[in-house]
Amino acid sequence: MSSLVSWILVGVGQALVIIGIFCDLAASIMMLRLPNFFARLHALTVGSVGGAFIPLIGAALIAAGCDFLGPYRWFMAGGAVVTAIIEYVLAGAGTHAIARAVYRAKAAPLKPIVADKLAEDRGGEER
Amino acid sequence: MNLATWVTDFIVFSMPFYFAAFALYIARAIKGPTVPDMVLAVDALSYDLAAFLVLLGILFRAPIMIPCAIVLVLWVYALDIYMAKYFEAGEIGE
Amino acid sequence: MMAVDIVMGLLAASALISVIATVLAVQARDLLKAVIFSALQSVAYTLMYFMLMAPDIVLVYAAVAVGIYPLILILLIKKVGRYEV
Repeated sequence: MSSLVSWILVGVGQALVIIGIFCDLAASIMMLRLPNFFARLHALTVGSVGGAFIPLIGAALIAAGCDFLGPYRWFMAGGAVVTAIIEYVLAGAGTHAIARAVYRAKAAPLKPIVADKLAEDRGGEER
Repeated sequence: MNLATWVTDFIVFSMPFYFAAFALYIARAIKGPTVPDMVLAVDALSYDLAAFLVLLGILFRAPIMIPCAIVLVLWVYALDIYMAKYFEAGEIGE
Repeated sequence: MMAVDIVMGLLAASALISVIATVLAVQARDLLKAVIFSALQSVAYTLMYFMLMAPDIVLVYAAVAVGIYPLILILLIKKVGRYEV
């Protein structure tokens, strides 16, 4: 019975880790191929939420299912969940902070652009 | 099939994909045209490295090495905030 | 046996990355880019110390070399100017 629960936990965790690997590869290719800074913010979002948050939850489930790690596996699962929650909060906060700063300081080119609603709201001057 | 060998084989199988992603992130971090691009690349590299460190902790059967991932994630966020503060102050003051 | 190979391969890869990042940080004319290369080198060293099974060193090194050292350098760059002439 305990073995079956362990296998289910490990299987679900491995499915989450595989989703994370796919998001990770997609985010790295996007980070290399997208044209400018504000498009690469999307790559960072995919890489931090899909590529780090989901595999951390999956690693927590794998660690909770691994009997061979001994009783310290609960410490490992809890640490992985705490890391996931901290990462989920801090990645979005840091991304918004640096995006706002770069937009206001004009530190990155804005050129391949579709629409700039913030500049239109501020009076429509073009950069 | 044994659970321990299954988990070990899965983590060893997942390692080359992580290495490929790390290599592409490092390429963007080295050749990034502007400084914020490099900050983004180092950020994404560190967040994915934190997930990879947890998997390596399972692979090495060392559950005591989890706090490394927490510390890495926290301090890379601090690097992000320093850069944002530098650019904001460059806009206002000078 | 396989774990030894994985550890040695990861150590070699991260050491190579840290050497490349250090050379680029020394050569960079833009001091802010030098700070980012230094952070990249610190991340590679974090992986190396993790491989060497030294979690206490990782806890201190990540805090100092990713957190506090760029803080001091960015404060200094804000005072002395960004581009090296």
